[in-house]
Amino acid sequence: MSRTLKLAAAMGVIASLPITPSVAAAENLKVVASFSIIADFAKNVGGDRVDIITLVGPNGDAHVYEPKPADAATVGSADVVLVNGLQFEGFLQRLVEASATKAPVVELTKGGEVLRNTEEEGHHDQDNAAKGEAGHAAEAEEGHEEGHHYHGESDPHAWQSVHNAELYVKNIADTFCAADAAGCDTYRANAESYGQQLEALEAEIKAAVAEIPEDKRTIITSHDAYGYFEHEYGIKFLAPEGVSTESEASAADVAALIKQIRQDKASAIFVENVTNPRLIEQIASETGLKIGGELYSDALSDENGPAATYLEMMRHNITAIKGAILGS
Amino acid sequence: MRTNLTSATAIALFLSLSTSAAHAEEVTAWRLFISDHADPKVTVIDAVDGGKLDTFKIKGPASLHRSESGRTVFAVQGSAGVVTGIASGISFEDHGEHGDIDVEAPKLAGLEITGKKPSHFVEHDGDFAAFFDGEGVARIISEKVVLEGKSDFREVKTDAPQHGVAVAYGSHVLLSEPNREKPDELPVGIRVADEAGAPIGGIHACPDLHGEASSGNILAFACATGLLVVSHGDGTPAIRHLPYADSLPDGKTTTLIGGRGLQYFLGNYGADKVVLIDPTLEGVAFRLISLPTRRVHFAVDPVRAKYAYIFTEDGQLHQLDVVKGEIANSLKLTDPYSMDGHWSEPRPRVAVAGDRIVVTDPLKGVLYLVDATSFEKTGDIAVEGKPFNIVSVGGSGQTHEGE
Ligand SMILES: [Zn+2]
Repeated sequence: MSRTLKLAAAMGVIASLPITPSVAAAENLKVVASFSIIADFAKNVGGDRVDIITLVGPNGDAHVYEPKPADAATVGSADVVLVNGLQFEGFLQRLVEASATKAPVVELTKGGEVLRNTEEEGHHDQDNAAKGEAGHAAEAEEGHEEGHHYHGESDPHAWQSVHNAELYVKNIADTFCAADAAGCDTYRANAESYGQQLEALEAEIKAAVAEIPEDKRTIITSHDAYGYFEHEYGIKFLAPEGVSTESEASAADVAALIKQIRQDKASAIFVENVTNPRLIEQIASETGLKIGGELYSDALSDENGPAATYLEMMRHNITAIKGAILGS
Repeated sequence: MRTNLTSATAIALFLSLSTSAAHAEEVTAWRLFISDHADPKVTVIDAVDGGKLDTFKIKGPASLHRSESGRTVFAVQGSAGVVTGIASGISFEDHGEHGDIDVEAPKLAGLEITGKKPSHFVEHDGDFAAFFDGEGVARIISEKVVLEGKSDFREVKTDAPQHGVAVAYGSHVLLSEPNREKPDELPVGIRVADEAGAPIGGIHACPDLHGEASSGNILAFACATGLLVVSHGDGTPAIRHLPYADSLPDGKTTTLIGGRGLQYFLGNYGADKVVLIDPTLEGVAFRLISLPTRRVHFAVDPVRAKYAYIFTEDGQLHQLDVVKGEIANSLKLTDPYSMDGHWSEPRPRVAVAGDRIVVTDPLKGVLYLVDATSFEKTGDIAVEGKPFNIVSVGGSGQTHEGE
């Protein structure tokens, strides 16, 4: 079993054990959220019983985030650590190790249906260094097919389906209840009322998609962050970069995408808040597609932006998508 | 007992033949490359069993650098005026979520770059830049070319000889700017140039520039006034100056190393202090740590990101907890090595090889092995001559049948 998988398994075990409340009644639960979207969920469930510190803040890219010693100290003093899992937080294992935290590290995607990216990828030789030192992780999912390596990489962007967001919320409520039994009724009630807002949101998204003609439902973004959105709501997303922003798109990838855009008659193209817009601008100018605005993929906007919460983010995205397609 | 490489490879093959391809064998290999303080040679030792693998004759006493990938080790021979490339023999091929290890005999790569007084040697993303102080010229070559056995380097010139530094930064080059008024003194800043060496924009001031390191996606130069912090900008490198905090005593950093796994920098700060730096924090970027005596050498732990190691002149190795910002453990290893006298005298150096910390004791002709988990001395390896500079290369990976 790989170190990553062992760690994940260990987390699962820790998370499922009953946790002795380590918090005095008057003290808030110290919650660390790996990135902004989880922090927003945690805020909705925890209300004023929790203090939340976010590691990767607004507009930050968790795929490539470099943890700092201060983050290790933060995680080390947390009561609960909430993460996405599915290798979204590439920094997680080394951060948790360095922190020596005793807090449960809970993967909020656990119990959900996982999408896999089955696209074949080239060999990424550039990031060998860290592996050579940190030990090569043996990946159980990896298989051989016709002499090629197929990753079957998990797509970590599960929050892009509102249905999955409900799972995150349920897992957060379970975690908070285990860590702070006295607040459990509050957490459950908060989760329930937030869940209703999520259901309303999902209905809005489905209604918006229904207004888009089926042959216009293909759009372009920077990286493969919308697999769950596509799976759930039927908008097809193409992107030059894969499910992680870690490795850059090759010129061949971009050329192939441009060809594909022409064949698929993509209706709109968007920049993302967590990635450099340069590549999308280049593809837009080569294909004549007009950039339809900015989608929020892996992070919320700051407080003053149009996607300061998960609900706002999803509404912003579907509004931008619908607007760009129907306006084109 | 000595295991030679042929048999190590044979064992690996045998093991992988005895299992199915889907259950590839995990192999661990670590090598120590050690230069001598007096003799022109590099000794290669198998860190797993302590056996000597080879000795390479070079032109002069060398300081050693390993590449990020671990495939190449460079011997920079300042007095002999040459940089020699050595193929470590250990390489990893990354298949996304698992890695294969390939173990061959180490050998001279065939690369020799000659010039006057090579000094600082910097890698960035697989491109190496060797700075030749005596000419004020940087010679740049990629790891790919080195491993092909070629010596096709490109050259970027600065205006004058200087104790300088260059970094091949994607399609740009960062070059130290010589001190025109006082040519014997340290450079005064950093200039960005295009690939051909044509300057872009002005000089980023960095008085007494000495010390450079990378950590994650940040590169830093140490100056008398603070750090120059370089990150990927939009098109050209983004460079900003991070001044030393007012709370620090008078001093400056002249040697810098970068964290692995956690993003931080560790610099000397005066003779008997070090400073931990997180350049992404405003105001609280610097944490000062006092040492019991003067610092001889330091190294970060690339495996246990929480720790760095500092050797001090009283013969102690210290385990620095970079999260807490304090020394967690100390271990007496050698007789005192006074920092009085010239900086280049033979004194211990530190490297980390997997689960072991290795410290050279040049005057005793010994390497000490310290278990990185227990922080206890677990053994030593005798090395002929005065073992001085040391780098380690290795890791664990899978070997597959038929690959
Ligand atoms: Zn993403």
